[in-house]
Amino acid sequence: MSLDLLLDARLPVLVQGITGRAGSQHAVAMRAYGTHVVGGVGSREGDVEGIPVFRRCSEAVAHTGARASVVMVPPVAVRDAVVEAIDAGVRLIVIVTEGVPVHDALAIVRHAHAHGATCIGASTAGLAVPGRMKLGFLPDVALAPGPLGVMSKSGTLAYEVCWRLATRGVGQSVWIGVGGDAVKGTRFADCVPFFARHRETRALLMIGEIGGDEEETFAARLVAERFAKPVYALLAGSTAPEGVTMGHAGAIAGAGTGTIASKRTALEAAGVRVFTSMNALVAAAGEDLGR
Amino acid sequence: MLVEHDAKMIASLHGLPVPAGVLVESAGAIDAARLPPLPWIVKAQVPVGGRGKAGLVRAVDSIDAARAGANAMIGARLRGHRASGVRIETRVAHAHEAYLALLLDPAAAAIRVLVAEHGGVDIEAAAANGQGVRSMLVAPDEAVIAPTVAALAAGFAPPVANALARAAAPLAKTFFQCEATLAEINPLFVLPDGGWLAADMKLALDENALVRQPELAALVEARRHVYPEAALKITTGFDYVEVDPEGTIGLVTTGAGLSMMLIDELRAQGRRPFNFVDIRTGQFRGNPTRLIQVLSWIARGPRIKVVLVNVFAGITHLGEFARLFVEALEAVPGLRVPIIARLIGNGFDEARSILSHEAEQVMLEPDLERAIAIAASYA
Repeated sequence: MSLDLLLDARLPVLVQGITGRAGSQHAVAMRAYGTHVVGGVGSREGDVEGIPVFRRCSEAVAHTGARASVVMVPPVAVRDAVVEAIDAGVRLIVIVTEGVPVHDALAIVRHAHAHGATCIGASTAGLAVPGRMKLGFLPDVALAPGPLGVMSKSGTLAYEVCWRLATRGVGQSVWIGVGGDAVKGTRFADCVPFFARHRETRALLMIGEIGGDEEETFAARLVAERFAKPVYALLAGSTAPEGVTMGHAGAIAGAGTGTIASKRTALEAAGVRVFTSMNALVAAAGEDLGR
Repeated sequence: MLVEHDAKMIASLHGLPVPAGVLVESAGAIDAARLPPLPWIVKAQVPVGGRGKAGLVRAVDSIDAARAGANAMIGARLRGHRASGVRIETRVAHAHEAYLALLLDPAAAAIRVLVAEHGGVDIEAAAANGQGVRSMLVAPDEAVIAPTVAALAAGFAPPVANALARAAAPLAKTFFQCEATLAEINPLFVLPDGGWLAADMKLALDENALVRQPELAALVEARRHVYPEAALKITTGFDYVEVDPEGTIGLVTTGAGLSMMLIDELRAQGRRPFNFVDIRTGQFRGNPTRLIQVLSWIARGPRIKVVLVNVFAGITHLGEFARLFVEALEAVPGLRVPIIARLIGNGFDEARSILSHEAEQVMLEPDLERAIAIAASYA
């Protein structure tokens, strides 16, 4: 699984859409954090603050040896950008763009599976190995090295929780934003083997929300893999109205499916400590893991 | 999710036969409507299932009974959704009821094709018992749907299998051309003469695809009283949901997950948040329009006592946010309640200086739990 690429501190990274407003800003911010940003793909050749820009992904990979990319192009351009990256040999693709049409996401996920590539997102705030690199726009203030593996659908909720935990001395080993869309490259369950193997991860936090069955599938995977580290879950949307999309395309609860009750039951049966309040979660994890 | 009437109008454009019917949005409009041939069935238009069991579907045989049905149903609520109108449709008798659906399966990244020989209102219970519903996952390819349905329906009574196979192609066309996430016919009426019709249907659209679906976007905008959230997203580019018309706490928040969590926590403390919003500060680009919109919607809430702002600025500069917020407050003079602003991140000091000089009604509090407690004390 290409998530192991994250463990290479010199992982060469491309930014697709680097000549856009967000792309240029975050390419520079990622590099400043320590990410080995080797190039970008954009609408004009030249460079962005010294980062070489190419017109095609294949060209960028040939010149830089990039193995990972961060996609920051407009929603309806994401599908072509990701296919281009996979076809150029990029193995880990982080799609931060929000609002990708779901039929495009379907095509992206199927193309990645067929070619053995790993996509994260779309609609992810990114991923990070705190202290070493970040791919995406996780705010530096919330990043701190530590023992807690973090997975989240939401960017902002994870910022808030990780920041509060960090101020209590609990940092993160690896932080993976899986994104809030229904159809996505990497789901919570897909990350379980990685966190099971990863030595620096001593406990795992899953930040989920209403909608879909990702939390339930994650619980089943924990059991199947005999995951031995402590697992915490924070669930958002316990009071959301049925049938209304709450911001995230994937966050919609229907009759009996995707509800907090269904997720809580499945997670608790797998031995996960489930919380629906940030304070309670932070207190519990801080107590267990804090210095 | 579209209401039945809209789903049927779209599917019939793609070749799916449906019973003749009209949409009526007030009982008084019935007389002017081009009503289909009697007898009728009157059905409340709400974007959720379970109408029959909730008394929101009625068989009628006269215009007076239809008017009474419309009167009873329009404005009725089902699981939080208000019926904006009724569809008055020719009632079909003596039909066999079958089931056909196409569902985008996110976990499998594939399309699930479902068929049942016996459909109708109890299909979900039957499916939960593993009875009667046959399904298969296929690639997202319009051409594979009809052969898959034919294969799944093998062994059904021949007229039913035939109707399912013939309905599959127009349903697949509707699903893929509209970039739907669900297209369901339940029941599919199979008539004694072998004819067939989609008696009821569900069509769920992908809001993110509307930018390249101009006809669907036009439908949603033209019927914004039925689809307020989707229409709003088309025109504004962000998500806003009024979660409690009687709510006392207006929210100006960014990030879907954290905004949802805030609502949960306020409710857990017995408070009544008015709205959900993911305003996306990262997309402001120096323009206060979104803030003005959200503040003016909040100002319209009849019981608003306080506004809680929450911005965790990873990237956004809080100084810029504070300037735009002051501009927005000036543009919404009707909002005269205390405002608790929880700001944290880049540019906090600049934001504090701007707000303390230019917006006296704003109280700045960097800790979210304390900000919630202060807001709750006013609500």
